[in-house]
Amino acid sequence: MGTSPAIDEADLHALVDNEISGEERRRVEDHLASCPEDAGLVDGWRRQNAALRAAFEPVAQERPPLSLRNAAQRNASTGAPPIESGAIHWGRPSSSTRTLRRFEEAPGGRSTQAIASTLGALLVGAAIAGAAVFVITRPDAAPPAPEPSYVERADLAYRTYASDPKPVEFEAAQKDELLSALRLRLGFARAPDLSTLDLKLLGARVAPGLRGPAGVLIYERGDSSARVALYYEKAELAGFPRVAPRVDQALTAIEWRAAGYDFVLIGPLGPESMQQAAERAAAEMLTVTPAQ
Amino acid sequence: MGDKEALFAEVEEATPALRRYARALCVTAGAIAADDLVQSAIDNAALGIRERRLREGGAARLCAYQALTAAAREELAGSESPKLSARHPAIVQGLASLPFEERAAILLVALEGFSYDVAAEIAATRREALVARLMRARAALSMLDLRPPAPSDGQRRAGSHLRLVK
Repeated sequence: MGTSPAIDEADLHALVDNEISGEERRRVEDHLASCPEDAGLVDGWRRQNAALRAAFEPVAQERPPLSLRNAAQRNASTGAPPIESGAIHWGRPSSSTRTLRRFEEAPGGRSTQAIASTLGALLVGAAIAGAAVFVITRPDAAPPAPEPSYVERADLAYRTYASDPKPVEFEAAQKDELLSALRLRLGFARAPDLSTLDLKLLGARVAPGLRGPAGVLIYERGDSSARVALYYEKAELAGFPRVAPRVDQALTAIEWRAAGYDFVLIGPLGPESMQQAAERAAAEMLTVTPAQ
Repeated sequence: MGDKEALFAEVEEATPALRRYARALCVTAGAIAADDLVQSAIDNAALGIRERRLREGGAARLCAYQALTAAAREELAGSESPKLSARHPAIVQGLASLPFEERAAILLVALEGFSYDVAAEIAATRREALVARLMRARAALSMLDLRPPAPSDGQRRAGSHLRLVK
């Protein structure tokens, strides 16, 4: 320690932490001016503080996940939220919210739409296959491994099925069959009732997920102007991707984890409507636990 | 009612900082575990507000920090010090190697900016003990080289693949 017996290490820490002021502060600062050894200690601690802030301040600048927004006030009236951890709004709402075509207004267009959808899927498939062949056969192939993301799978499922005139394998009217098919493939099935939010269940289908089968429940607005998909799959990946997944700009996606499953609600509604629907779906999904 | 709402707003405003503290405190446990603890801390503070145990300004925020620290202590008990990969900054690796109480002390003071008295209250200890933990934490982190690289170091590294051929 330094030359002045009146200044001890605790005084130096107190200076760094703004615990002293006035005459006491000046006394310690005068001491540092004449004691390079202690001045070096103080500089080092200040560098530590700056390094800590630099490492963790970005967390405070992030938008808190859905489950932590307004959490105190929300929980005050409803108890603990059903979303167990880190729900994330991946959505990037744009000014031009895309709405799906009103199906009942365009009955003649359904077959055209189906053909267009099929052709689109074939073209996308061919492009993916071509890209895969290119990547595999490239002599110095060392592609950067993209971070897998359930949200991108949900986005793909949405774009593949939601605009289809018959987007589901199992209609809502066959609810027992629907639930047993999902349960058989995913080990868990539940069809949340979102009718209070003007979202009617059309039905569900099993789709290829990221690491196994995924369940896709499709809902439609009462005026048939938009469809929303609730995608879920066993969560085998730890954590959420660090980089925001690529999602159609006109869609909002909300991802959360609960009971070992990853859930993604995706659709063209505004962020607030999607948030309400996600909260509702999360609550209903866990009314019966997956173990049951 | 107005007071209650002010306290809820206080927790809401503190949420980003609570996440920052939790992420640093649970540096070895990951972001999801940290956010889970923040959630439970917020629930705890909300309960205190509902039950009117918390009334004064600042009390809800303090309660959330206390609950978070206590929950993290319990959560991390017995699962300390897994090695972080080298891609983390030196300060983060150093933080991960600290005992829990020392980590909490330095984070409450240096990262969250609490006074010694308030930090001691959050960590449920005496002021003297908190200062001692803070001093030990700083001494341990002083072993790390946190100096910004000198320009000459950078030039040496950048040019190290070149060799004099003539």
